[in-house]
Amino acid sequence: MQIYLPIAELSVNVFLLLGLGGAVGFLSGMFGVGGGFLLTPLLIFTGIPPAVAVGTQANQTVASSISGALAHWRQGTVDLKMGLVLLAGGTVGSFLGIYVFGLLKSVGQVDLLISLSYVLFLGVIGGLMLIESVRAIIVERRGGGGTARRSGHHNWVHRLPLKMRFRKSRLYISAIPPLLLGTLVGMLVAIMGVGGGFIMVPAMIYMLRMPTNVVIGTSLFQIIFVTGLVTILHSVHNQAVDVVLALLLLTGGVIGAQFGARAGEKLRGEHLRLLLGLLVLLVGARLGYDLIATPEDLFSLSGGFE
Amino acid sequence: MTRLAAKLFAPLFALLALSGSGTVQAEGIVTDLSQHEVAIRSNFTGANILVFGAIERAGDSARTGPADVVIEVTGPETTETVRRKENLSGIWLNYEATRFERVPGFYAVLSSRPLENIAPASLLKVEQLGFNNISFGKAWSSVLGGEEYLRTPDEVAPFSTAILRSRAKDKLYVADSNGVVFMGDTLFRANIPLPASVPVGLYTVKVYLLRNGDVVDAISSPLLIAKSGVERVIYRFAYGQPFLYGIVAVLLAVFAGWTAALVFREH
Repeated sequence: MQIYLPIAELSVNVFLLLGLGGAVGFLSGMFGVGGGFLLTPLLIFTGIPPAVAVGTQANQTVASSISGALAHWRQGTVDLKMGLVLLAGGTVGSFLGIYVFGLLKSVGQVDLLISLSYVLFLGVIGGLMLIESVRAIIVERRGGGGTARRSGHHNWVHRLPLKMRFRKSRLYISAIPPLLLGTLVGMLVAIMGVGGGFIMVPAMIYMLRMPTNVVIGTSLFQIIFVTGLVTILHSVHNQAVDVVLALLLLTGGVIGAQFGARAGEKLRGEHLRLLLGLLVLLVGARLGYDLIATPEDLFSLSGGFE
Repeated sequence: MTRLAAKLFAPLFALLALSGSGTVQAEGIVTDLSQHEVAIRSNFTGANILVFGAIERAGDSARTGPADVVIEVTGPETTETVRRKENLSGIWLNYEATRFERVPGFYAVLSSRPLENIAPASLLKVEQLGFNNISFGKAWSSVLGGEEYLRTPDEVAPFSTAILRSRAKDKLYVADSNGVVFMGDTLFRANIPLPASVPVGLYTVKVYLLRNGDVVDAISSPLLIAKSGVERVIYRFAYGQPFLYGIVAVLLAVFAGWTAALVFREH
């Protein structure tokens, strides 16, 4: 069954979009990532103009994050205070990101810079997660038992001023690192059209040293607001949000997210991180390959980016 | 089907009857479209426009040489930038870009036999008929977002053929040398296939009558392709009230996410 998308201006199979939304929603609920880093390339692959893919997927991330965040809220695994600090940074970052997006567009290299930043971020983060989780699994297999809680030792994060107490995370740290993290992720949401969870989650675990169980709920909480803001900004600046496309994706997405959240509960933290790390690396490798491999057609039409 | 055909051809027969009334005039054509407006709704998967017509022969009807009909459909023109990737230190990136000022979003040329057999190359060039002769307007090139400079059509040929290739792949540029079908000596019909991704706007359908390689007559008809119904409302809202549209989009997403969470809580 085909449906015509009014903003993307093309006709796409309804079940393809529902399926895409569902699959990505499942991963979103399971790992607490927005899933945009998967959905954006997939949408572009089905022929949707890149600008519309970016704007619309921010919109659909709002919905898939809400159902996930509510599930975590009920389980009491959202650190509200931390979420608000991250959100403050995210708001600043979103505006910065929209500004940078406009600059890149005028230079005509927006897709290259997007691809490069995807490869860089996905490669580094995926690699780190993979190494760490494999190590944790090995340690556990050997029956080490007494794996020291990581928040025991201090790093540079603990020497900054503006200290705040985050009860739920059992942390007493400076507000500066979460603010900066929020700003960075907010920029990436606007530029790359991603929820930013794939950077937020590992940064919270390894940089802020938050306990894994509150990381996903808190990440989803702030993603709702940042992606909502980015949806509005992209609507105003690029008219690139297709609500019909978004509704189809999120119908699949919200359902997938529920099942994903349940599947995530059954998995252990390090296994979850291993899987996410592998997934992130895979997408990064695919995008990196596209940069290096000889393109099928050297010429490309500007499409939605003009 | 027969009712549709009767409806379609009714004006044609009326015209034929008129033309036979004896007024002395040059050889010409009468033509019309099955519809002058295409409404794009949510179930739009493309459309077919029927072009039909007849050759009117005034005076000596036994002219020598075969008559040819060429139908050219041109969609709304926009600027289009084509980029060529080059391998710089291992990475393929957009290097040289060429911006064409007037690129039709849709182009179809239909004829009853290959264009080059119908008319000499010089005439096809003048009338801009066929893929090789479409003009994309002025071409401006730049390297890596630098200053733009004006180029001649020959210099940018690889870029313009890239447009033809890409659009032909999307069925937005169509060339069909069997596209015009004659019924007898005077009646002809052709089908214009519009794909789902057809751009909205005002189209021109131009029907040429050629004889012995000369254009004898040409008639242009307008064709409007527009969004309609919900599609039109959404499109207008997105462009007319972008801020409100963004807020509504977010609220819809919030509502959908919330509903799903409630539904799943019950289970």
